[in-house]
Amino acid sequence: MLSTLELKVTPFHERTSRLSVAQNWRRWAGYRVVGSYDLSLDHEYWAIRDRAALIDVSPLMKYVIEGPDAARLLHRLTPRDIDRMTVGQVAYTGWCDEEGKLIDDGTISRLGPQHFRLTAAEPSLRWLSMNAVGMDVRITELTDQVAALSLQGPKSRAVLNRVCKDKLDGLKYFRWMNTSVGNVPISVSRTGYTGDLGFELWMEADQALPVWDALMTAGDDYGITPCGILAMDMARVEAGLFMLDVDYTAAPHAWIEGQKSSPLEMGLDWAVNLDKKGYFVGRRALEREKREGSAWRMVGIEVEWEGLERLFAEVGLPPQIPSMAVRESRPIMCDGKQVGYASTSTWSPVLKKYIALAHVQRPYYEVGTSVLMEVTVEHHRKYAPAKVVKLPFYEPAWKKK
Amino acid sequence: MASDVIIIGAGLNGLVAANYLAKAGKRVLVLERRAVAGGQAVTEAFGSGFRLDVLHAGGQLRPDIVSDLGLDVPASRSEPLISVLPGGGQLRLTADSDDRTLASIGSVSKRDAERWPGFVAFMSEASGFLDAAYRTPMPRLPNVSFSEGLPLAKLAMNLRQLGPRDMFRVIRALPMSALELTEEWFESDAVRAAIGAVAVHGATLGPMSAGTGYTLMHNWLNRGGLGHRRVEGGVGRIADALVAALKARGGEVRLSADVKRIILDDQTVRGVRLANGEEIAASTVMSAADPRHTLLTLVGAPELPPEFVWAAQSIKMRGSVAKVHLLTDGNHGLPAGTLIVAPSVRYVERAYDAAKYGQVSQQPYLEITADGAVVSLHYQFAPYALRERDWGQERAVLERSAVDTAAAAFPQLRSSIREIKSLTPLDLERTYGLTEGDLNHGQLILDQMFFMRPMPGWSTHKTPIDGLFLCGSGVHGGGGISGAAGRNAAKVVLKA
Repeated sequence: MLSTLELKVTPFHERTSRLSVAQNWRRWAGYRVVGSYDLSLDHEYWAIRDRAALIDVSPLMKYVIEGPDAARLLHRLTPRDIDRMTVGQVAYTGWCDEEGKLIDDGTISRLGPQHFRLTAAEPSLRWLSMNAVGMDVRITELTDQVAALSLQGPKSRAVLNRVCKDKLDGLKYFRWMNTSVGNVPISVSRTGYTGDLGFELWMEADQALPVWDALMTAGDDYGITPCGILAMDMARVEAGLFMLDVDYTAAPHAWIEGQKSSPLEMGLDWAVNLDKKGYFVGRRALEREKREGSAWRMVGIEVEWEGLERLFAEVGLPPQIPSMAVRESRPIMCDGKQVGYASTSTWSPVLKKYIALAHVQRPYYEVGTSVLMEVTVEHHRKYAPAKVVKLPFYEPAWKKK
Repeated sequence: MASDVIIIGAGLNGLVAANYLAKAGKRVLVLERRAVAGGQAVTEAFGSGFRLDVLHAGGQLRPDIVSDLGLDVPASRSEPLISVLPGGGQLRLTADSDDRTLASIGSVSKRDAERWPGFVAFMSEASGFLDAAYRTPMPRLPNVSFSEGLPLAKLAMNLRQLGPRDMFRVIRALPMSALELTEEWFESDAVRAAIGAVAVHGATLGPMSAGTGYTLMHNWLNRGGLGHRRVEGGVGRIADALVAALKARGGEVRLSADVKRIILDDQTVRGVRLANGEEIAASTVMSAADPRHTLLTLVGAPELPPEFVWAAQSIKMRGSVAKVHLLTDGNHGLPAGTLIVAPSVRYVERAYDAAKYGQVSQQPYLEITADGAVVSLHYQFAPYALRERDWGQERAVLERSAVDTAAAAFPQLRSSIREIKSLTPLDLERTYGLTEGDLNHGQLILDQMFFMRPMPGWSTHKTPIDGLFLCGSGVHGGGGISGAAGRNAAKVVLKA
């Protein structure tokens, strides 16, 4: 009985569990994954930004969509123009309900003319099937069968070039290719959740461990570091990447309309292709929102250091910043009233700044607007001066090179 | 010349909608898949010497529609409902409570005969309320706007005018079973069963099913009482009158024009494509075909929102009516009237039980009507979805059970039969375009009525496709062949 209540473990558990000094486990989509290996996040975080960080992302929901109507299904499901996707391409996308509110987000990889892989944060089989009525398409969930590793950081390519049969120098940003590690076939996509140079590796679950071992051995010189999802959480905020049910409420989870967000409100204008042909779910609502303008927008908030320092100086303290990403709603104020809220805030070690992802109302979401963010100074609510800034906060030159 | 509005299906609802639009000055083109207009209200010839009302032995348009459209419809007369009892007795029921009816009821129960006029009065009130409801645009629950709520408030006023006692009785009767309802009025099982049979006519429900209080009111309203309303010369003459009126108003009906696709561009109607490939443009299309076929086949699920597709897939279409027509030598020995084999509530419920389990009733509830030498048997229950057999195998069983049951009531019938022609639910689907053989384009059940017809949130005749409207029996005002749904939809289109 008890065993049924236990979380699943990923195909890398045999390795990750032995390396985890902190034994800081996190629940992710029914799996137990490493929150942090170390007692402090510094080492893992800096692996992402300076070296190569190896992150177990196997709990990502994975679906394979095949058949004559595979492209048609994804074209209908998402606001992306799937007709224009070539084989070898990966596209990030959100998808909406008919009211144009986000249900989930993930990536689509075109594996063949009639063959796609979709990743999602949430179980999506029902929604995919509901959208496939009347189509000639087969949808298979492969979440448990396919292991996924994310190798992120400026040295990630160098490490991969050592272990993969094929060189990855030619693999462009948001493209994927097939290769192998030893005799294990893998596919590699140049994607990630850190905003750095990085790759994600996809392989059969029962062949996962040799790939982990090969990477750890080959990456040793480069300081490859197993990295938990908490350090990744800081990096993704710096990269301006948001998370379901943290930075937006998935429409099916919302209790009230006001909790829902559209992709335009989330700043995904670039991933909403209203010029594409044909119906897609939420099209009319998104067209209307585009015409009328969004009431909300996800923006970056940068807290001004001197102002923060002053607030803490009043009680005789140096500024105290959380050392990890905090998923707490914090009011954003302007003109004496609340104009939004930060959904995730973090110290950015690479920028040396206190930053946050925030939902802000029109017209305060314009870049450059001066606002205040609520902070707690020695148990008291205070308002630190801050600015609305463009996302991402951090984008190294090597990310897309 | 191009049409303003294309209407798919020349059944009574399609033709009524066409007439209302043409009367308002629209150029209307009605496209009918079959070679004959009328839909379910069709009088046609087949076999050697059959010419009859194939699906419905009678029918009538709503009187307000007849007068609105100035239709020259033939006179119809309501005939008595005669329940054939075991041992050869007959129970005669009419809505006008004449002496013969009261005497007939009195022969089974004196008390029931005394109560009959009161029951008829109640049913007239109840069906009057239903008629008003069917004329009232339904709001899109749960988010009712003020303008949508207003007609509903008027309906509530209508209901209130029945007086508090009757209002309560009508509302209470809707979700009741026919058995519970009739138990409160009558002590005779034969009387209860005859009324219960009318309640389940055309529905896949038994007299013990919840909501057959509602279907009783519905069938009472559409029939104008208990027995059929025969049309002199056949029900097809109603369609003829509608076609003639439409032509006089400049509208057109094209027969053998089978619409295969509703053409869209950006969720907006552009026209239709026929089976022969011909495309006809129009900015408004009304479909009198059933909602499921219209939405999932003619439009196609890939063009519609997923939640909407889910709802359309979930419309309950459970036909379990079959027809068996007998060509006789004329010596069938049937009296005039709408004859039923429904001797007890239990008998009818048992007949329905078979349908629940995917079987053809061996002892069916039959409605028997004769028109000259042709005898028509309306057979319940014969479910569209058979559990263990298919309709290729089951047709012989159906015909045998039909004849055996009818001949047990009218022994002379058997030897008079010259030819048998039956229509299974599968035939109803294939020949008459009724999905799952459902005469009502969607069952008349509590969760598919009023603002939930054809599906919750879409009771306004509109669809997610701009310019596409539903006007058939499956939408508010239907089921049945009263024209109410077509009238309601036309009013929506004229306002749009």
